[in-house]
Amino acid sequence: MSAILDLLPPLPALFGQILIGLINGSFYAMLSLGLAVIFGLLNIVNFAHGAQYMLGGLCAYILLKYFGVGYWPALLIAPVVVGAFGVLLERLFLRPLYRLDHLYGMLLTFGVALVMEGLVRNQYGSTGNPYPEPPSLAGAWNLGFMYLPVYRAWVIIASLGVCLATWYVIERTRLGAYLRAATENPKLTRAFGINVPRMVMLTYGGGVALAALAGVMAAPIYQVTAQMGSEIIIVVFAVVVIGGMGSIIGAIVSGFVLGLVEGLTKVFYPEASTTVVFIIMAIVLLVRPAGLFGAATRTTAAGESHATAASGLRLSPPTVRNVTIALIATGVLAPWVVYPVFLMKVLCFALFACAFNLLLGYVGLLSFGHAAFYGGASYITAHAVKMWGFDPLLGILAGVLAAGILGLVFGWLAIRRQGIYFAMITLALAQMVYFSAVQAEFTHNDEGIQAVPRGHLLGLVDLGNALNMYYFVFAVFLLGFWLIHRIIDSPFGGVLKAVRENEPRAISLGYDTDHYKLVAFVLSALLSGMAGALDALVFQLASLTNVHWTMSGHAILMTILGGVGTLAGPIVGALIVAGMENYLATLGAWVTVIDGAIFIVCVMMFRRGIVGEAAVLLRKVRLKRKTEPVLAPSTKGATS
Amino acid sequence: MGRVSPFILEAEGLSKDFGGFLAVSGVDLRVRRGTIHALIGPNGAGKTTVFNLVTKFLQPTKGRIAYNQRDITQLRPAMVARLGMVRSFQISAVFLHLTVRENIRVALQRRTGTSFHFWRRGRTLDSLNERADALIASVGLSDFTHELAANLPYGRRRAVEIATTLALEPELLLLDEPMSGLGREDIGRVSELIREVGRGHTVLMVEHNLSVVAALSDTITVMAHGQVLAEGPYAEISKNRDVRAAYLGSGHA
Repeated sequence: MSAILDLLPPLPALFGQILIGLINGSFYAMLSLGLAVIFGLLNIVNFAHGAQYMLGGLCAYILLKYFGVGYWPALLIAPVVVGAFGVLLERLFLRPLYRLDHLYGMLLTFGVALVMEGLVRNQYGSTGNPYPEPPSLAGAWNLGFMYLPVYRAWVIIASLGVCLATWYVIERTRLGAYLRAATENPKLTRAFGINVPRMVMLTYGGGVALAALAGVMAAPIYQVTAQMGSEIIIVVFAVVVIGGMGSIIGAIVSGFVLGLVEGLTKVFYPEASTTVVFIIMAIVLLVRPAGLFGAATRTTAAGESHATAASGLRLSPPTVRNVTIALIATGVLAPWVVYPVFLMKVLCFALFACAFNLLLGYVGLLSFGHAAFYGGASYITAHAVKMWGFDPLLGILAGVLAAGILGLVFGWLAIRRQGIYFAMITLALAQMVYFSAVQAEFTHNDEGIQAVPRGHLLGLVDLGNALNMYYFVFAVFLLGFWLIHRIIDSPFGGVLKAVRENEPRAISLGYDTDHYKLVAFVLSALLSGMAGALDALVFQLASLTNVHWTMSGHAILMTILGGVGTLAGPIVGALIVAGMENYLATLGAWVTVIDGAIFIVCVMMFRRGIVGEAAVLLRKVRLKRKTEPVLAPSTKGATS
Repeated sequence: MGRVSPFILEAEGLSKDFGGFLAVSGVDLRVRRGTIHALIGPNGAGKTTVFNLVTKFLQPTKGRIAYNQRDITQLRPAMVARLGMVRSFQISAVFLHLTVRENIRVALQRRTGTSFHFWRRGRTLDSLNERADALIASVGLSDFTHELAANLPYGRRRAVEIATTLALEPELLLLDEPMSGLGREDIGRVSELIREVGRGHTVLMVEHNLSVVAALSDTITVMAHGQVLAEGPYAEISKNRDVRAAYLGSGHA
């Protein structure tokens, strides 16, 4: 008996963590509620939701600091201001995207989130800006077994109230009935004389305002920082996957419960407190793929469309050969012109992007978790080479294998869901890997694994020499690039194209499409791991940067900037992104803003990417030449 | 054991409940080997749901499905296809951004057992071209072998779809509204194609065009409100009172 009691923590600590859990749960609930409402009507995952939550807190902070406006007015003003901003965002940017694949909406809001976070970090730094509790809610109640700060009690009660009010509006009022009708069948609802576009716009604004409201309430508890949004949003995605997006009550209940579970984990097994939500998500995916409150799993009967803007592009064999020859020539000559370390970075990024493109461009799967493979492999390679004295090739092999195993687990879990869910699940799983890397001993937390020896290739070639290392990296890159090309061109690649084009039909021809997707996912993970392993040797460092979600963002950015589904696109994208990171490093957070802006521009008007657009242009020019060779000189003659 | 059943597909007591809405309830359907069997009925009668159930694209809430006397109620849809029951879809069952030949090859490729071989050259599948081109010729598309399916008119796409299905050498073809979206001329062509196919295969089709159904099918099953209303040859069905009330009476000529 006493042994069991000894295992229990002291009661005040227990209640303290339960309280923190409920507070976190309040914010999870409010944020996932907003996400669910927006998703229900707009069918997009609002990636900017975290940034809008942050803007709410920031708005309150600015109101107080510069205008002397206190907490209570801010509670009203901030949601209105941020909500209005959301309305504008919907009208100008999201509305033109509705006719496209839902993934574009996600990419756009991801870009918007980057821009906002970067701008705020520029202005206010990344350290916390304290925001005082409102005086009327200062102090604490003594409950006998613990002290309950009044403000915290208020947050829990207020957010519960807001959640229930939202539920009431949606489920029980006429306005809510219109909303649900429009979710079911927009065309029919419009026929009843309801202005659906305006309703969509206001719903988005409402969801955003809800996030801002949560931000204001969070400000006195967490302080206001630029990254407070991106920190919470990934957990909220996991909450949404667990709860299932279809249900309002589901979002509320799972938000509070998971906050509570997180708090309790902090008491009983603190090491897992940052990962517990993701672990629960993985278990739920295994047991009930549709989520705890979600409707039964949709079958594959309905056609899925994919983000393959370039699927109509075809390269003739000579083009492929020319691209390859140009690539090799450039690669061989480049280190005599450009700093080799920079070039090696480009090559690592390029291989990473090509591996990512294999999945997005040729299977139509958008993964937001590729950082786990890149960073995971770089850790394993660095550790194997440094601590176990592995040869560089063996070290790379170890990293690649580790990435492959991770890929198998991720893919096995994530392929149970499609489209945006797939993206959210991969993101959440990668965040779990990130937190594991923060916690594990061998990764050395913030310092990373430093002074990784490059060693001798096959015991002969000294890779400490920059040029030797460069040509080694270049050779590995070419191997990876060739492999990807081979995969795309193979019988397997043929099936992948069929799956991307029309998945139900591929099934009806007898292909178990999930198995093909899984193999493609693992291949992409292996190749990403190859890039990450190289990275560790090149920079002689494996650090948290490589497993952070921004690295997954980089993979996406490079691919869509260069051109989804093109052979050379990811390489061009890698050159630009690595160049920006290198040469614009002094600009600090502006790089994040520029990254975000590129996302927005690419999604809004440049969906084929640089190489894709160039190919289309080239084809037009060629067609013109073919059809008007006689015409051209004669018009010239006429004008001169 | 022993005797082969005259029925290739036997469904018993099929029901599908979509969260309280009973789309199909207690449907018995038996398709006789070597016949063309049509499934007709007004919109919302549950025909396509039955299709989705027997091909396992939907899991039935109740009921049992046997194909060649083998219980397939719990199988995955891809497995059902591999057993020889291949379906098409109402909207489009072609791979739009592949050429006609590539479309056919996707189907032919499955039997080579190399579909997971990501290390092989695509060219290793060129041995399938001869068979592919023969199939293309059999549906009259030889002139379009290298055209993207997206550039073909609907009627031709239907032909690509049928050729792709035939490439799998199925025993039973399920066609979901093969005439939808087709013009008069295409209807004639596709009808002829289906009649041709029906000589060597069993065909089950959902179709709205009654003259096509009358001309092609040996047996007709009429559905309404998720249930079977009547079954028999056209001459018998067209005289059935219930059918007239539920189907012909509701505006159809």
